[in-house]
Amino acid sequence: MEKDFLEHGLNFNRRRFLSRLSLGLGSVALGSLLVPDIFNGDSSDSGWVPGIPHFAPKAKRVIYLFQNGAPSQLELFDYKPRLRDLMGQDLPDSVRRGQRLTGMTANQTSFPMVGSFVDFKQYGDSRSWISDLLPHTARVVDDICIIRSMYTEAINHDPALTFFQTGAQQGNRPSMGSWLSYGLGSENKNLPSFTVLLSKGRQGNNQGVYSKLWSSGFLDSVHQGVQFSSGDDPVLYLKDPDGMNKQERRKFLDHLSQLNQISYEEFGDPEISTKIQQYEMAYRMQTAVPDIMDLSKEPDDIIKLYGSDSMIPGTFAANCLLARKLSENGVRFVQLYHQGWDHHGNLPNDIASQAKEVDQASAALITDLKQRGLLDETLVIWGGEFGRTNYSQGKWTAGNYGRDHHPRCFSIWMAGGGIKPGISYGETDEFGYNIVKDPVHVHDFQATILNQLGLNHEKLVFKHLGRRYRLTDVSGKVINDILA
Amino acid sequence: MNTKLKAYAGNLIFSLNILILFLLFYDDQLIIPDWLQSVGRLHPMFLHFPIAILFLAFILEYFRFNEKFRSQEFYAKFTDALLLGGILSAGITVVMGLILSVEDAYEGEQLEWHKWFGVSLVFISAVFYVLRNSKFYNLVYAKAGTVILSLLLIMAGHFGAVLTHGENFVMEPVSTRASVSLEEALVYDHVIQPVFQEKCISCHNDQKLKGSLKLTDTLSILKGGKSGKLFIAGKPDLSLLLERIHLPLGAKKHMPPSGKPQLTEEESRMLYLWVKSQSDFKQKVTDLPLNDSLRILAASSLKPADPDEQYDFAAADEKTVRKLNNFYRRIESVAQGSPALSVSFFNKAAYSAASLEELSAIKKQIVSLRLSRMPVKDAELKLISSFKNLEKLDLNFTDISSKGISALKGLDNLKVLSLSGTAVKFFDLQSMFAGKNLKEITIWNTGISDSEIKQLKQQYPNINFISGYKDDGSSMIQLSKPVLKNNGRVFSDQLAVNLYHPRKSIAIRYTLDGSEPDSIKSPVYNGNLLIKESLVLKTKAFKEGWKSSETAVFTLFRSIKPDQISLMKAPNENYRAAGANSLFDAQLADIDPNNNNWLGFMENDLVLNLNFKQPKNIRKVGLNTLISTGSSVFPAQSIHVYGGTDEKSLSLLGILRPAMPGKEDKPGIKNLEVTLRNKTVSCLKIVAKPLIKIPSWHASKGKPALMLVDEVLIN
Repeated sequence: MEKDFLEHGLNFNRRRFLSRLSLGLGSVALGSLLVPDIFNGDSSDSGWVPGIPHFAPKAKRVIYLFQNGAPSQLELFDYKPRLRDLMGQDLPDSVRRGQRLTGMTANQTSFPMVGSFVDFKQYGDSRSWISDLLPHTARVVDDICIIRSMYTEAINHDPALTFFQTGAQQGNRPSMGSWLSYGLGSENKNLPSFTVLLSKGRQGNNQGVYSKLWSSGFLDSVHQGVQFSSGDDPVLYLKDPDGMNKQERRKFLDHLSQLNQISYEEFGDPEISTKIQQYEMAYRMQTAVPDIMDLSKEPDDIIKLYGSDSMIPGTFAANCLLARKLSENGVRFVQLYHQGWDHHGNLPNDIASQAKEVDQASAALITDLKQRGLLDETLVIWGGEFGRTNYSQGKWTAGNYGRDHHPRCFSIWMAGGGIKPGISYGETDEFGYNIVKDPVHVHDFQATILNQLGLNHEKLVFKHLGRRYRLTDVSGKVINDILA
Repeated sequence: MNTKLKAYAGNLIFSLNILILFLLFYDDQLIIPDWLQSVGRLHPMFLHFPIAILFLAFILEYFRFNEKFRSQEFYAKFTDALLLGGILSAGITVVMGLILSVEDAYEGEQLEWHKWFGVSLVFISAVFYVLRNSKFYNLVYAKAGTVILSLLLIMAGHFGAVLTHGENFVMEPVSTRASVSLEEALVYDHVIQPVFQEKCISCHNDQKLKGSLKLTDTLSILKGGKSGKLFIAGKPDLSLLLERIHLPLGAKKHMPPSGKPQLTEEESRMLYLWVKSQSDFKQKVTDLPLNDSLRILAASSLKPADPDEQYDFAAADEKTVRKLNNFYRRIESVAQGSPALSVSFFNKAAYSAASLEELSAIKKQIVSLRLSRMPVKDAELKLISSFKNLEKLDLNFTDISSKGISALKGLDNLKVLSLSGTAVKFFDLQSMFAGKNLKEITIWNTGISDSEIKQLKQQYPNINFISGYKDDGSSMIQLSKPVLKNNGRVFSDQLAVNLYHPRKSIAIRYTLDGSEPDSIKSPVYNGNLLIKESLVLKTKAFKEGWKSSETAVFTLFRSIKPDQISLMKAPNENYRAAGANSLFDAQLADIDPNNNNWLGFMENDLVLNLNFKQPKNIRKVGLNTLISTGSSVFPAQSIHVYGGTDEKSLSLLGILRPAMPGKEDKPGIKNLEVTLRNKTVSCLKIVAKPLIKIPSWHASKGKPALMLVDEVLIN
C-alpha cells in the first residue's frame, strides 16, 4: 500500500517534471528568437559593426604626444610652493603612508622634499599655473585642459607605458591606436590608420620604446601601428627596389594577390586577406607617403611656429609637424614618443633642455590645428607614463637634485576634440604627493578618449580566447567634467 | 478560481521565470524586432498592475494567520488568486522591461539596480508562492516574507521612477529655468538669478527671511542681510556670499545648509566670476569677451540639456554610399544608426569636379565635407551650396576665388567653415553671415588684415574668427645646419659635394680651409663643388629674417681602395661589422661604440694585408679610430706599416705610437696617421696592436682595452 502511494507520487512528479521541462524549453526557444547570433560561434556584440562609431563623435583623430620617461609634474604643471618652504625636510610618514617605492630609493634613509628650482606663473583667462620652463605652452593655456590628478598602477617605465597604451601592464594586448583603428576603421585608405613617430631627447636618460607598444595584439594586424622614421626611407621596405618600375610592381602585386587569394580560399586564414590588403595599401602609400614626409614644402611661417628643430628630421618638433600632416591626411591615431624624461638625477639641467625641445612644437601643434579648423575634431594629448616623487633621489642641493618614479599623481594635458578648453582638473595635496580631488585613473583616461571618438569603452570589445577584451579592461569611467 | 486556471497560471509563471533567466543571460546580445519594441515600451504602463496587486496580496498574506481571517475560505482563495495574478503580471512586466532596456536611452547604475530588484522580486515571490502552502509555513514566514517582498517591490519601483523622472524628482525644487537663447540672455536674469532661485530662495524670501536676507529682488540683494552686505562688487574674496558658499560643508555657516541641495561647482564659480566682474545686473552674456570664463560657463548653463544632433532626413541608400566610396573619396557614417554622412577627399590628383558632382545622390545626408587642398573651383561651390544640411565645410587651401564664396550664402545649417589659405577677401565675409548659425570661421593665411579681422569680430560677435599664427618678423629663429647628402665621406678620386637644406631660397656658404664661413666673403654653394683632396668642409646656412645656422663640419677623406683586402686575424666577436670590407666602405661610423660599423679588436691584433694591381706611391696610412675611455675604448698601442712589391718582400715603412687619452679627455674619433717612407708598393701590411693594459687611473685598470676602427685611409 505504502509502495503504491509512493509510486503514485513519483508518477505524478514525472508527469509534472516533463510538462515543466517542456514549458521551460518553450520559454528558452521563445527567448532565443531575440538572440539572432545564439547558434553562431561568433557572439561578438550584436548590432554594432566595427568601423562605425557607437554615437556621434566629437573627435575624429588623435595625436598623442607621449613624453616617455615620465616628466616631473612638479617642475612643469603642478605648482607646489609649499615644497620650497619644506626644502630638505623629511617626507612625513603621514603623507607617504607606507606606499611602495621603487628599488632605486626604497633603501634611502631619508626622503628630503625638494621644491621646484623653477618658478611658476599664472596664464590665460583660466589663470592656470604653468612653469617658466614652458613659455609656449603657457601661450596656448586657454586651449588646453590640464589634468593634475592622473594616477596609475605601475611604478616602472615599461609596465606603465604598456598600461597607458594597451590598458594592461603585461603587453600583448592591442594598443590604443589599434583599438581605434578597429573601432572606427581608416579614414584615408592610402595611409595606415595608426602611425608611430619616435624622437629622443638630446640629454638625459632615454628609456626604451619597443614595437610591442604599437602592436595590434589579438586584433587583425591591419590595425597595427606603422612606424615612420626620419631619413630617406620613412617607411621601411616601402620603396621599390632599384630597377623595378611602377608597372612591374603593379603586375607583381596582381599576381601575388591571386596566389594569396588561392591560399586564402584553401585555408581561410583571415591573416592572408589582411596581407593582401596590406600589400595594396603599401602600393598606394608609395605615392602618398613621400608627399607627406616632405617638410620642405611647408611655408616659412609654419617652420617658425614649430621652431628651429622642425627643420631637422627625427626631432620632436619635426615629428609634431609631421603628425599634423598625417592627421590632416586622415590618419586616425598618430602616436609620438619623445624619450629622455627619466630624470633620476641632474634634473634641473636635464628637464630644462628636455622642456625646451618639446615646448614650442607642442604649443605650435595646437595653434596650427586650430588655424586649419581641425582642433575641434582632433584630440591632442600630452603626457608621460607616471609622475615623479616630491623628494629627492640621492643627494640634493637647491640647484641640483633628482626625482624617482611616482605613480600616485602626475599631470597631463589634453586639447581639442571636444575637451573643455582652459580648465584645470583635479588637485594634489600641498606636498604634491597624493591626490585630494577628482582622481583620474588610466582607464578613466582611456574611456574618455574613446568616448570623444564616439566609442563606448564598454562596448568596444573583441572576443579572444573565450573572453571579451576591452581597452579599459573591467573598469574606467568617462570623466564627464572635462567634456565641452 | 478553478484549479485548472490556477495550474495554467502556475505554469505560465514558471515559463516566464525561465524566459527571464534566458534574457538576462543573453542580455547584451538581444536584438529586438520593431514590433516587439512597442511591447517593451508598454512597461511603464503595465508595471502599475503588479505594484498594486502585489501590495494588496502581501497585506492580505501578512494577516493570513489572524484569528478572524484564518477560517474564511474566501479570504484564503482571494489571497491566493491575488498573489498568483500579481506574480504573473510582475513576470510579464519584467520581460517587457528587459526588452525596453535594450533600447539605447537607458543605461547606468540606476538601470542595473532597477533590473535586479525587479527580477529578484519575481523569482522570490514565485518561490514564496510555492512554499506558502507547505506544512512548515507559519505566521513568522508569512510576516517576514511579505515584508521582504514589499521592500523589494518598493526598491524596484523606486529605481524605476528614478529612471523615468530623474534623481531627486520628488524632493528637488520645481525648476523654473526658462530657455533663453544665448544672444538674448542677460547675465543676471538668466544665469545668476536662476541659481538663487533654485538653491537659496526657499529660505531667503518674503516669508522666510532667514538671517534677514532676501534674494527675491535686486534691491534686497544689494542691501544684504543681518551680517552685512552680501557682496562687494569686484571683490569676490571679501564678499560674504562667496565666503559662506566656500566654507566647508560641515561648517555651521556654510550655505546652503547641509541637507539642502548644494551649489554645483559651476554655479559657485559663476557667482564668483559675476561678483568679480562688478556684479552688473543688466549686462548681456554676449557683451562679455568671447573667451571670458563667465561667458563660457554661462553659455554652457544656457545650453539646452540635450545637445545630441537629431536629423530629420532619411538615411541614404546603402548601395549608393558603397558605390560612391573609393580610396580617394571617403564617405563615412557619422554614427551607428545616424543618417548623417561625412565625406573627405584625399589626393589632389584624383580629384575632379565630377567626383564632387557624383555626391548629389547623397546631398541631403552630407553634414560634413572636407575638401582641404583639393583644386576646388568656384563652379563647384554652387554645387556645394545645394548640400543643405552641411554643418562643417573645409575649403582650406582650395582654389576658390573671392567671388565664388557668396554661393555659400544659402547654407543655413553651416556651423564651421574653414577658409584658411584661400583667396577669400574681407568684403566677401562682411555681408555673408548675417543671421546664420555659423560659429567658427578659420581665415588664417588669407591676406585679411588684423584690422579687418577686428572689424569682422565686431560685426559678428557670435562667430569665432580664427586668424592663427602670423610671422611678424619678431621671432628670429635659427636655421638648421646644411646637410651633406653624399653617401659616404671617403672618396677615391674626386667628390661632387651635394649639400642640402630643407628651406627654400637659402644661401649655403662654405669654406675649404678650415675657417668659419661668413655671410660676405665665403662662396655660396651653387650645386657645383668638386673636391680632389682630403679636407675639412665647413658650411653654414643664411637667410634674411632668420638667424644663420650653426657651422656644419664635414671631414672628407681621399683614399685609395686596394684591389684585394684580407684580414688575417678575427676581430672581437661583438664588433665584427661587415668584416674587412667595412674598413673600405667609405662609411664613417658615429661616436656610439655600438654602431655596427665599428670593427673591434681586443684579443687579436688588427693584421691587414692589402694588394694593389698597379704599384702605388703611398705616403700616408690612417686608421680612423674611436676613442672613448668611458666605454674602455682606447687607440692602438702601436701601428706598424710594412710594404713591398709582393707579400714576401715586405719592409717596415712606418711606425706610429699614438698618444694615450687622459682621464679628462672627451670621447672622439681620430684619424691615426702613419707617415710612410717614400716607396712604391703593390702590397701593404698593417699591424695595429690594441692596448694590453688600461692605465691605472681607469676603473678597469690592468685589463685589455678595446680598439675600434671603422675605416682605413690610404694616400
